Amino acid sequence: MSDDVRPYELLKTILHLSNASLSLELRLDRMLQAIAETFQSDRCLFLKPEVIRNAGMLSRIVSEKKPFWVEDASSLPREDILPEEEDLISPSFVCLPLDDEASCQGILYIGFQRSRRFSPEEVDLLNLISMEITGTIRKAHFPPLPDQTRFELTALRELGRVVTSTLKLEDLLQLILATGARILKAKGGVLRLMDRNTGELKVKCRLGDYDQNPFGAKIARRVLSTRKPFSLQQSEKELPFTSVLCAPLISQGNSFGTLSFYDLEANPSTFSEAISQLLLTTVNQISSSIDNALSHDEISDLARRQELRARRLSTLWELNKALLTTVNLDRMIELTLTAITIGDGFGFNRAMLFLLNEENQTLYGTMAVGPDSAEEAGKIWNSLSEQRGSPFEMILALQPTSEENSLLNSAIKRMRIPLSHGQCILSRTVLEGKSFNIQLPALEEEVPESSCGRGCQLGSGVGCQVAEQLSHDPKVYAFATVPLCGKGKIIGVILVDNLYNRNPITDEDVHFLSMFANQAGLAIQNAILYRNIEDVNKELKEAQALLVHREKMAALGELSDKIAHEIRNPLVSIGGFARRLYRTLPGEVPENKYAQTIMVEVGRLERILNNILQYTRDDSIVHEACDLRGILEDGLSMLLEELDDGRITIARAFDEPIPRVMGDRQGLKQAFFNLFTNACQAMQEKGTLSVRAYPFSRNGTSFVRVEVKDTGKGIAPENLHNIFNPFFSTGESGLGLGLPIVHKIVTSHGGQIEVDNHPGEGTTFIITLPTHPGRPPSAGLHPKAG
Amino acid sequence: MKKILVVDDEENIRFLYKEELEDEGFTVELAKNGEEALEKFNVFSPDLITLDIKMPGMNGIEVLKRIREKERNLPIVLCSAYGEYKQDLATWASDAYVVKCADLTELKETVRRLLKL
Repeated sequence: MSDDVRPYELLKTILHLSNASLSLELRLDRMLQAIAETFQSDRCLFLKPEVIRNAGMLSRIVSEKKPFWVEDASSLPREDILPEEEDLISPSFVCLPLDDEASCQGILYIGFQRSRRFSPEEVDLLNLISMEITGTIRKAHFPPLPDQTRFELTALRELGRVVTSTLKLEDLLQLILATGARILKAKGGVLRLMDRNTGELKVKCRLGDYDQNPFGAKIARRVLSTRKPFSLQQSEKELPFTSVLCAPLISQGNSFGTLSFYDLEANPSTFSEAISQLLLTTVNQISSSIDNALSHDEISDLARRQELRARRLSTLWELNKALLTTVNLDRMIELTLTAITIGDGFGFNRAMLFLLNEENQTLYGTMAVGPDSAEEAGKIWNSLSEQRGSPFEMILALQPTSEENSLLNSAIKRMRIPLSHGQCILSRTVLEGKSFNIQLPALEEEVPESSCGRGCQLGSGVGCQVAEQLSHDPKVYAFATVPLCGKGKIIGVILVDNLYNRNPITDEDVHFLSMFANQAGLAIQNAILYRNIEDVNKELKEAQALLVHREKMAALGELSDKIAHEIRNPLVSIGGFARRLYRTLPGEVPENKYAQTIMVEVGRLERILNNILQYTRDDSIVHEACDLRGILEDGLSMLLEELDDGRITIARAFDEPIPRVMGDRQGLKQAFFNLFTNACQAMQEKGTLSVRAYPFSRNGTSFVRVEVKDTGKGIAPENLHNIFNPFFSTGESGLGLGLPIVHKIVTSHGGQIEVDNHPGEGTTFIITLPTHPGRPPSAGLHPKAG
Repeated sequence: MKKILVVDDEENIRFLYKEELEDEGFTVELAKNGEEALEKFNVFSPDLITLDIKMPGMNGIEVLKRIREKERNLPIVLCSAYGEYKQDLATWASDAYVVKCADLTELKETVRRLLKL
C-alpha cells in the first residue's frame, strides 16, 4: 500500500455507505469504487455466490474461508484454475471471501496490472472492509427489525420466568397460555396434551372458547403427528377464527402436546414467518419444562394413590383378621358390618346386609349396623374417637349396641325382596353381579310413583323402605351396593350410605368395599356351610340314635316272638284246664279259688304276650274304611268286662256323624283299649273317663280327633318324654308297652298323638287321624316297624 | 251229633280241645299232624275241622289246601298261637281264624256259628 492510501478515509466511506439508505447494489458499487480509488487498482469486483462454481480457485477460497493474496501471478500454480477464471489472473491480485461464519455472501476481488506487495496495514484494512461488506450484504438480506427483536426478547424472558416459577401444573399451563396470547396479541389459545394411555389429544387448558372448534382440533392433531409448527391466515367467513398458530410440544424427540393461538391481531404479512419462528423457539424451551412438570405431577399422583392403596390394604388385612376370629354366622355378619361402619375401617355411616335365599330367589334382610338418628351417630362417634387401637382390636371390642332396639335393624330384618323385582337396585346388584354407586336427586316433597310400587325414585326397595325409616327426610341420599361373593356365586348384597355426615361416596370407596365384600362373602359362606354342617351333624346323630333304637327293637322283637310262641301253647293248656277246673269244682271249695287264681294269672301272661307280639309284629295291616264310633264302643265294652266295680264313670261325647277313617280295625281297637286301660290305671280312686270324638279340618284336609281324658294323678313331668318309649314303665303294671303300641298304631295310620298333661289333675291324650278318603293309603300307612 | 276233627301237634292242646268240645256236645276226633289229619278226614268225614297252622312236616295251610281240593264247603277254623298268618292270603280259604287263647269262648262261638247251631 502506498503512502497516500488513507485507510481511515476509506473505512469511514465504507461504514457510511453500509448504513446509507440506498439500495444494496448502489451501496456495493460505491464501496467498490472507493476501494479501487484508494488502492489504485485496475479492477475491483464483487463476485456473487451464484457465479462461483463448485470447482476451481474461487470455490477453494470459499471453502477455505481465507483471503487469497497473490503478489506475483507468474509463480501461481495453474492446476485448479478454470478457463473462465483465467480472466481474473492479473499479475497481482487478492480474493477476500465475504463470510460471516454462517454462510458465504460472495468474494471481493481486487486486481492490479503490475505485481505488487501487500503491507500488513493493507491486509488488516482489507480484512476489516470485507467484514463490513459481509455485514452490509447480510443486513440487506435480513432487514433488521429492532421492535421485533425487542419483542422477541421480552417474550422469551417472560415465558422463561413463567416456566421456572414453582406453580402447580394447571396454573403453570394457564399462565403459559395467557402470557403467550398476550405476547402474540392473540384473542385466545388452547393447550392440548396427549393422553399417555390412549394417545388421544385432550384439551388441558384454554383461553376463550376456541377448544370447541373441530377444525382447530384437527390442526392440532396434524401438528402433533408432523411435529412441525403450523400457521394459517384466511378470511373465509365459515371459520370461527381468521388466523391460527399451532406449535408442537416436543420433549426427548417425542411430541406430547400442542400449543395453539387463535385470531392474532398483528398484520399477518409482516410477522407470520418470524412469529412462527418465535413460537417454535419459545415452545421448545417450555416443552421440556411442561413435560417434567407433567411427569412430576403423575408421579406424585401415583405415589399418593399407592400410599392410599397400601393403607387400605393394611386396613383390609386387619378387617380380614377380625373375620377369622369366628365361624358363627351371626357374629360374622356383625363383624363384617361393624368393619364397614367404623371410622378406621371404611367409615360408612350405615351398613345393611341382605342374604340371598336360592330356593325362592329372594333377598332377605339379615342385619343392619348404624345409628338410628344423627344424635345417636354423634354420640357413637364421640365415644369412638376416644378409643385407640388397630381396627382389628376396635372391631372385636365393639359390642352391638342394643341391637333389638335398633329401628333400622328391625326394619331391615322385615325386608324381603324377590329377585324378580328387577327394578330394585339390590336385585340388580345380584343379577348383574356388579356394584352400584348411586346419588339420588334431592327428594321431592311428595314421593313420585314408580314401577317399584313403593314410591322409590330409583325403584330401589332399599331406597324407599329405608327412607321410610328416616324421619328427617334427607335432601340428598347417596348410597352404594356391592355384591357379596361366595365361591362362584353371589350370596347376598351389602348396602352402605353416609346418611348423617353426607360424605360423598367415591368409586374408589366402592372398589375398596368390593374387595372387602369378596373376602367377607367367602367368610360368611363358610359360616353358613359350617352352620349347615352342624345342623346336619345333629340330624345325623339323631338319626343314628333312632336307628340304634330300632335295631334294638327289632332284635328284641325277634327274640320276643320266638319266646312268645313257645310260651303261648303251654299257657293255653294251663289256662284252659284251669278254667275247666274252675267250672267243675263247686264254688265253696278252696280249690275253686286256686283254679281262679291260675286262670287270672294266665290271662295276665297272655295279655303281656299279646302286647309284645303286637309291638314287635312286622306290620302290614289291612286297611279298610272303619267306623270309629264302633271301634271306640268296642274298646270301652272290653274295658267294662274287667272293671265293673263302679269306681270309674264313663262320659261319652261323640259328634254325629263321625267320618270314617282308613285303617286296621283291630289295631285301632287295640290302641284305644290301651288308652282306656291306661286311663283307668291312672285313676286309683274314683274317677271319670271322658271320651270325645269330633271331626275337624286343617289346611283343607279333614281329620277326626279323639280325646281320651282321665281325672287321675297325671304323668310326672320327668317321665313325660319317655311315655312312648317301649319297656319304659313306672313299675305299676305291665311291661310298659301300652302307650308305645298306641303310638305305633296311630303313627302307622298317618295320625298324630298329643298329650295334655296336668300332674295331680289328670291327663288328656289327643289322637288325630286322617279321614277316609283322606291321605292316600300308600303314603305312610305301611311303615316297617322293624 | 256233629263231628269235629281237631288237628294240633301239641298233645295238651288236643286234650283240652277234645274235653271242651265234647262238653259242648260234639264228637271229637284228633290228629297230631297234617298227614294224620288227611287220613282221618277221609275216614271220619267230619262236619268241621280246627287246624293248627304251625306244625312239623305239612303245615296247617298245606292241609287246608288239600282238604279244600276235595271238599269245598266243609267249615275249617284255623287256630294259631298268634295272628301272624292273618294276613296270609292262603288263610282266606278258611272260614275263620282264631288266635289261641286259654279262654276257649271265641273258638266255641266260632264253631257254633259255622255249624249254624
